[in-house]
Amino acid sequence: MKKNDRSREIGSFQPLPDDDRLICRCEEISKGEIRRAVHDGMFTLTEIRRYLRTGMGLCQGQTCAKLIRDIVAKELGISAGELEHTAARAPMRPIEMRAFANEGKGGELDEKQFGGK
Amino acid sequence: MIRYDLIVIGAGPAGLSAAIEAARSGLQVIVFDENAKPGGQLFKQIHKFFGSKEHKAKIRGFQIGSELLEEAAQAGVEVVLNASVIGLYLDKEITVRIENRLLHYKGDTVIVATGASETMVTFDGWTLPGVIGAGAAQTMMNLHSVQPGKRILMLGSGNVGLVVSFQLLQAGCEVAAIVDAAPRIGGYGVHAAKVARCGVPFFLSHTILRAEGDDWVTGVTIGQVDGNWNTIEGTEKHFDVDAICLAVGLSPMSQLLQMAGCEMEEHPKFGGIVPICDPYGETSIPGLFAAGDVSGIEEASSAMIEGRIAGAAAALRLGYFSENEFALRVAELERALSSLRQGMFAPENKGKKLSVTEEGCPVSEHLLGTGFLTEDEIFRYPGVKKIKGIHPVIECSQNIPCNPCQDACSRKCIKVGERITSLPVVDEEAVCSGCGMCVAACSGQCIFLVDEEFEEDYAAVVIPYEFLPLPRAGEKGIALDRSGKELCHAEVVAVKSLTAFDKTSLLTIKVSKEMSMRARFYKKGVRVG
Amino acid sequence: MRISEHPILGIPEQKEEVEFTYDGNVMKGLEGEPVAAALKAAGVTIHRYTSRHHSPRGIFCAIGRCTDCVMVVDGMPNVRTCVTPLAAGMDVRTQYGVSVKAEIVYEIEEKGR
Repeated sequence: MKKNDRSREIGSFQPLPDDDRLICRCEEISKGEIRRAVHDGMFTLTEIRRYLRTGMGLCQGQTCAKLIRDIVAKELGISAGELEHTAARAPMRPIEMRAFANEGKGGELDEKQFGGK
Repeated sequence: MIRYDLIVIGAGPAGLSAAIEAARSGLQVIVFDENAKPGGQLFKQIHKFFGSKEHKAKIRGFQIGSELLEEAAQAGVEVVLNASVIGLYLDKEITVRIENRLLHYKGDTVIVATGASETMVTFDGWTLPGVIGAGAAQTMMNLHSVQPGKRILMLGSGNVGLVVSFQLLQAGCEVAAIVDAAPRIGGYGVHAAKVARCGVPFFLSHTILRAEGDDWVTGVTIGQVDGNWNTIEGTEKHFDVDAICLAVGLSPMSQLLQMAGCEMEEHPKFGGIVPICDPYGETSIPGLFAAGDVSGIEEASSAMIEGRIAGAAAALRLGYFSENEFALRVAELERALSSLRQGMFAPENKGKKLSVTEEGCPVSEHLLGTGFLTEDEIFRYPGVKKIKGIHPVIECSQNIPCNPCQDACSRKCIKVGERITSLPVVDEEAVCSGCGMCVAACSGQCIFLVDEEFEEDYAAVVIPYEFLPLPRAGEKGIALDRSGKELCHAEVVAVKSLTAFDKTSLLTIKVSKEMSMRARFYKKGVRVG
Repeated sequence: MRISEHPILGIPEQKEEVEFTYDGNVMKGLEGEPVAAALKAAGVTIHRYTSRHHSPRGIFCAIGRCTDCVMVVDGMPNVRTCVTPLAAGMDVRTQYGVSVKAEIVYEIEEKGR
């Protein structure tokens, strides 16, 4: 399938018994919400992410990325491999803003430098 | 910005091996790891590894970890801990968070060895406290000496699920059941047999329907699934547990490579999204390599060799190895790697149903369904022979890459041969001394010594034992069969704990003669009836 | 819940016992072990309540990846307790949403509606 084929007919949203089950643990997004988002026109993982904030919480999708891929693929009637990957970008781990403020300071790997300001 | 010949991301088995190989070739190497301790998952692996000598077989994972750290230090590798690499950019520049700073480093070569993360499945109640990953259980009990629960249900019968279940038992926890949606046990039969004889039941073709409890796990309900993964009504089973452990798979933690712009592919055989690599682990970006689980899920043994290969390839790229030196070195490593990738659990056999071994012995469906071989089945395998006097009984029924039993026997009673995946053969002509080295050396704990002529009406069975408290000689108790069911009275006649056995104690139990091929475990207590 | 002796690992490395507070109550743990391990050994399973459904969460991955075990430690929210070493006198609190007090989270949500 073309990655972003909006003309694709996927039928209407059909409720499922496990729609209430949480998929994204951080942002607390349920399976039903993800499935509904697909029917709202979010055909790519990036759109789902921006629409629902799935995988954008503290853990950055460590647990849910694969689960969401499978749900979206199933809803679109394609295999998970056909879905374009979401962008991987920094920071890969939760990091405080003050670390960003200290970016590039202290180039040497000198333990003493890390002891404070 | 500081420049290094080689930056390695991840100080697990692959990363450390890569760093050692490259540093020995003369590269200036730095390794970053986000954890407080190096070694990746190795320090949680307390079982003896499979493979052969060159793969560090029969050595426990955490000891391999210590060896690697020592080697790394000797080779002059700089290991920086508590250092999260949060970005990998074009031209092999990385950003690392160390304490409250964000530092930039540049590598002329970079090896990404970030390993894998656990795959999860969902069910009602899966976010409740008490539902944990198998890795979490290992971390809690083996690193921090805290039990993850009192009574635990394990989901997943792959090697991780089986090994962690055994470790839970060793940590003094109870394992209520091992559940898997697949119709057959996914991991090594010998790992399954170890937990089965402790009495842990397997529920194949079952899945978790719900975790129960308001604020934390107090129970779990499982149910049987049909061929289409639908629950069959009326098959629900409830267990009172305080933890549910998920061991359903691993997927490569390849986001850094994706971010750097490597060509990636979704590969079910490798467990998820992996970089497209050449045979030496080099990605589509020259000088950027991947090694270990990040490039495809395998065992730590193969990750270590992949790391070495990538390290050598980095050395070649920077001119520290000549083409010739590289070819020689890598040929040796590739041989070692390919011997690990043979047998019934080889990557190309993933998901396949095999019905006979390489030797033509039928595979036990019973083992795959319940975790243990039946008494009738064991004589199919070349490690089980009727021999007078004390002799090894090797209940090894699958072609897995492993041969420490052969090296352990000084009397040449056991032969695996050139192919390390071959089933061990017991030589009826050779005379067993009863030393027990093979029993302790078997990473799968599937070797027993049996002496049918121990006493007039009694046989002696030597079993490997890795639990506390250790029974004492003279103690009376109960012999258990391969399924963990109580079988008959047993008396402990000897307990051997030699340094050479490396924490595997050998229990010699005396049982009535007709039980010699059935008694495979021991527990303290009095048999009723 | 602590393993005093292990058949393979032997007796755990001796660490100093220190006091810390959990929601204001004094508790004991071992210096340098993860805060989550100290809590688990003391029988605490709930680390936080989520902001949307107010449901309890605890240890899930234990290696700092899933961020489910975050709590408010020494006044700082979102601290991954499974990878944060315990120190004497630490102030560990249940996290509600992203802060210590549930009421605050509810108020913010009410305003948002």
